[in-house]
Amino acid sequence: MPIVIQPYRQEHEIAVQQFNQRLQAGGAEADLVFYETARPRWLPTSGASRLFNEFFLALDGGIVRGGYALKHQDFSFADGSTRSVGYYHHPLSEGIVNKAHATVGGLLLRDAMLRSPLLYCLGMGGYDRPLPKMLLRLGWSHYLVPFYFRVVHPARFLREMQMLRTTAVRRFAMDLTAYSGGAWAASKAFHLFKKLRRPRAAVCDVEVIEEFGDWADALWQQSHPKYAMTAVRDSATLRTLYPPSDSHFTRLRIRRDDTDLGWAAVGERRKDAKYGSLRVGSVVDCWASPQNALPVIRAATETLISAGVDLIVSNQSHKDWCAAMEDAGFLRAQSNFIFAASKKLAELLQPFEETRSHMHFTRADGDGLPRNF
Amino acid sequence: MTANVLEQVRTIASDIFSVPLARIHNDSTPETIESWDSIQHLSLALTLEEKFSVQLAPEEIEGMRNIGDIAKLIETKLQATPN
Repeated sequence: MPIVIQPYRQEHEIAVQQFNQRLQAGGAEADLVFYETARPRWLPTSGASRLFNEFFLALDGGIVRGGYALKHQDFSFADGSTRSVGYYHHPLSEGIVNKAHATVGGLLLRDAMLRSPLLYCLGMGGYDRPLPKMLLRLGWSHYLVPFYFRVVHPARFLREMQMLRTTAVRRFAMDLTAYSGGAWAASKAFHLFKKLRRPRAAVCDVEVIEEFGDWADALWQQSHPKYAMTAVRDSATLRTLYPPSDSHFTRLRIRRDDTDLGWAAVGERRKDAKYGSLRVGSVVDCWASPQNALPVIRAATETLISAGVDLIVSNQSHKDWCAAMEDAGFLRAQSNFIFAASKKLAELLQPFEETRSHMHFTRADGDGLPRNF
Repeated sequence: MTANVLEQVRTIASDIFSVPLARIHNDSTPETIESWDSIQHLSLALTLEEKFSVQLAPEEIEGMRNIGDIAKLIETKLQATPN
């Protein structure tokens, strides 16, 4: 039967379960499964909201051969326009375990490009993965969104950071440094050095808020023209992304002299084998005019430190937010967080090599909100 | 099938598969052109859609087996497209 791609409906749920079973039986990684409920738990369609997630399936008769998710969200561009942009995520094809279905992955992507010509992908785990390989060969524009980390408790970091403890020699050296106090001393020296070099900051008021109010709209209006591309972050959008009912995030309002400077959403990530038992905090999302990035990042960092995390991570694309991360004591490390834009989207971002450092992308622009917190 | 459409399809395929034009024939298939894998297949479909301003259904993309058939498909699409 020819492949047909259509919206995922409730009557397909059993066929999706069978698809997942075939993938697992074929040796796919355990997390490579498609959503087993047709209605998205994260950002389902709601009234007239322009921020929503939907699923599509590649059907071969009644048999599911693949699927993908498409998040629709308004973005603001440098030319002053606001356009709906699609975020293509969770594509999954039976082609990964059965070459007879090798074309399904491409058909899924093409379907998304037809539904949402302004399309991007984010994250993807590095250039060696199948999806970014395909995007690059199709001529998508791309780059690595910088990754930052700050070690709060160095001894625990050395003992628990499974990603780095890959050999017996490394484990021995890391344990030795952790137990000797060397890590603590080196960390203190580093942060003292950074403190002496970093810009002095006026005192800010940091308030933990339940919900984003109208003040966030004023911040959005003031600041969005300063970014080449950014997801709309007005109060209605923020209430959808970070509703008061979601206890995984702490929402911060940062002010100085009763003037709003910005906001941040921070949270502690779910436990992940690569981090061992470390408590990992994340600066998930943030907003301000670029010149006010530093006080926002400082407030977010101090909040997470007070919460007791061992390590703080964040991805930031805009050059001023990157500078703020470094001024706040973060180190930049190898990123595997790829931003890739379809040709139609890239046309709005020319010259891409220059524009990319003026776009505002964070972890919140991917699928990390429901997955990691 | 008009020679014009076939020549354009051959030229596009030559460019996408990075193969000399002389090696692209009516009966060229993924089996005879090493670089014609599933991603280049998609790339070929997307380029054809763009160059000829046509839209291909998923089953038509899957059914693109050789250059001659692809040219015929494009010609059929062009004839069905109102001017």
